[in-house]
Amino acid sequence: MAESILQKQLVLGELLDLPSFTNVCKTFVDLYKIGLKVFDQQGTKVVDMKVASGDFCAYMFEGPNGRRLCTETVTHIKVRPLDNLPREDGNIAVRNCFSGLRYLMIPILYEGDLLGRIIFGPFLPDEIGDLGDDLKALEGEFDLRKAKELIDRIRRAPETTVRRIMEHFARIVDVLVFTSHRAMISSQLHIESVTESYREVHEKNKKLTDAMERLQELSRLKSNFLATVSHELRTPLTSVIGYSEMLLAGLAGDLNDEQKDYLKTILEKGESLLRLISSILDLSRIEARGVQLVRKLVSLDDVVQSALESVLPQSLKKNLTLTSNLSPAVQTVTVDGDKLRQCVVNLLSNSVKFTPAGGVIRVDVGPADHAPEAAGPFGSSGYFQIAVTDNGIGIAEDLQPKVFETFFQADSSASREYGGAGLGLSIVKSYVEAHGGEVTVKSEAGKGSTFTLVLPIEPAGTGIALV
Amino acid sequence: MQFNTGQRELTLKIVYYGPGLSGKTTNLRALYQRVQPHLRGHLMTLDTADDRTLFFDTLPLVFRAGNLKVKLKLFTVPGQVMHNSTRRIVLQGADAIAFIADSQPSKRQENYKYWLNMVENLKANGLSIETLPNVVQWNKKDLGDATTVDAIAKMRLEGKQPVYEAMAVRGEGVVETFLGLVDLTFGQIDKHYLLSDKLGLDRRQFVEEVRRCLVDLPTDDVAGTN
Ligand SMILES: Nc1nc2c(ncn2[C@@H]2O[C@H](COP(=O)(O)OP(=O)(O)OP(=O)(O)O)[C@@H](O)[C@H]2O)c(=O)[nH]1
Ligand SMILES: [Mg+2]
Repeated sequence: MAESILQKQLVLGELLDLPSFTNVCKTFVDLYKIGLKVFDQQGTKVVDMKVASGDFCAYMFEGPNGRRLCTETVTHIKVRPLDNLPREDGNIAVRNCFSGLRYLMIPILYEGDLLGRIIFGPFLPDEIGDLGDDLKALEGEFDLRKAKELIDRIRRAPETTVRRIMEHFARIVDVLVFTSHRAMISSQLHIESVTESYREVHEKNKKLTDAMERLQELSRLKSNFLATVSHELRTPLTSVIGYSEMLLAGLAGDLNDEQKDYLKTILEKGESLLRLISSILDLSRIEARGVQLVRKLVSLDDVVQSALESVLPQSLKKNLTLTSNLSPAVQTVTVDGDKLRQCVVNLLSNSVKFTPAGGVIRVDVGPADHAPEAAGPFGSSGYFQIAVTDNGIGIAEDLQPKVFETFFQADSSASREYGGAGLGLSIVKSYVEAHGGEVTVKSEAGKGSTFTLVLPIEPAGTGIALV
Repeated sequence: MQFNTGQRELTLKIVYYGPGLSGKTTNLRALYQRVQPHLRGHLMTLDTADDRTLFFDTLPLVFRAGNLKVKLKLFTVPGQVMHNSTRRIVLQGADAIAFIADSQPSKRQENYKYWLNMVENLKANGLSIETLPNVVQWNKKDLGDATTVDAIAKMRLEGKQPVYEAMAVRGEGVVETFLGLVDLTFGQIDKHYLLSDKLGLDRRQFVEEVRRCLVDLPTDDVAGTN
């Protein structure tokens, strides 16, 4: 990102519109009849207006000592360091010229930076009103009567008056600098914002194009492979199942009871093998391409009800009670509805599987109790959760972190008794993480388990990220 | 941050970030009221006719702490959705963040979204919220409800950053937020640049100096009058 105008050092001459500033100074000088100079921080002259001092100063310049002392004063008022920390008295500094004239200096401070200085003078301080002693000492080099005559043309004023005029002028300069700075920033920042927006859109476009090309290539390769494997595995299995069904239906003649029992077992195992293959294919697909989300606005009630329906037959068989409780605080969310539904189904199927007859399974939906670390301190406001709780056999504490691993079974005897290959939870984990969410488990062996899905209500950055 | 050792000059940029209408500009205005006139610069606001910030607001504060000249440059970002690139520009070179959240229950998700948006915009500037001093202010506490109280309590419990409550329209909580952030920021810089050692200026003294830039509220303060 390019450096912004906000980071740049300000220069007086670039800030002020010189013709109009010169006009303002001229009005001031005409009104108060006092000389005025403005220098920027580099010592460049911005304005120099003399009033009636020209003849006197030219005369002083004629003598060698006069010239030397005069130059000293002029240099001093131009370069003498000024206090750049704002004081209540406005930071005015004083310089007396050897001739008895006087200059006042004030820094131009803006946002704590020294932008330049204003010099008022020369004027003849009322309280002195005469030639300076240093000048009087140069009698011989100068005709003092002529000097007095010339100096009397210069404005006489009490220093306090000049100070007041000067403070007033400094305030005007401050306002001018401020308004110019404001105008400059407005126009410049407008350009910067537009440029930055353009850059952002451009960059995003490029990223999207690149990503798409990579994905297309990957997906071409993997899909071919998966399609082949899927076909090779499913086709023979479909035949096994199909022919078993035909035999059972008596299409090849009557069977005795023992034969029927054997066939039923073949059918059942064949079907569970088919499910296993589907799960493995799901997982390989996830690994091959990552999870492809199709996000839409979905109703959480719809998702949960449809998931409950799909496990209803098995839970009826075991006489389990299914309940759900949805908070009105989150009703619709932007997620991949099918995948979220599959997550809930997987959790529910596990609960049904591991909860003894007569048990209870509950689904609670509402705002998230806490969100992933990366979501920041306001995270829980952007997330919702779905918790599935049962009072089944539970999972021992040391095994809990492992349940999301592919092919993990809390207890291999459990898998024999309850069936399944431990793929459901790792699919849940992949889907939830693809959404930028988290799945956690809380459980106590013998008492039951709670699996909680925490997902963002909307994908991160929705609405405010772009331009 | 700019630290000019030769001139003993420290410049810090403090950015007020947060969702639209959460009260960032109001915070700066309230602070402006409290700064001694000769120490503050102009409060520059660049806004539209309906008072929404267009580019940013800025308020410079210049003072002496020990023998160090300190310039604090306070900025607000524009909260409206469409000004994201301006928000990113204003964040350039930020040294500290005051996140102004809106206490209204209906704004809960906005706070969350703008936090993430800030994290992203910081990243684009090569900055990270993990290392930048930051505080959260829950403004408009007059418009919060019981769920707001819960959310604030939870955030305090997490303890990731100092959390303040405020009613910026009445100037309440504004100074506390600001000084809290100044405190945190100085602590951080001190760690890197060992200012305490180099300048004989410790964290508490620094905060005291900043506090001294502020004028006390008149005794019959706004809260007391009806
Ligand atoms: N009720 C209430 N209103 C507040 C409070 N603080 C600010 N407001 C009001 O909220 C509105 C928006 O305040 P601003 O300070 O302009 O908000 P902002 O964050 O700068 O908004 P943008 O510049 O658009 O990002 C104004 O009408 C304020 O008066 C507060 O503590 N309570
Ligand atoms: Mg604003």
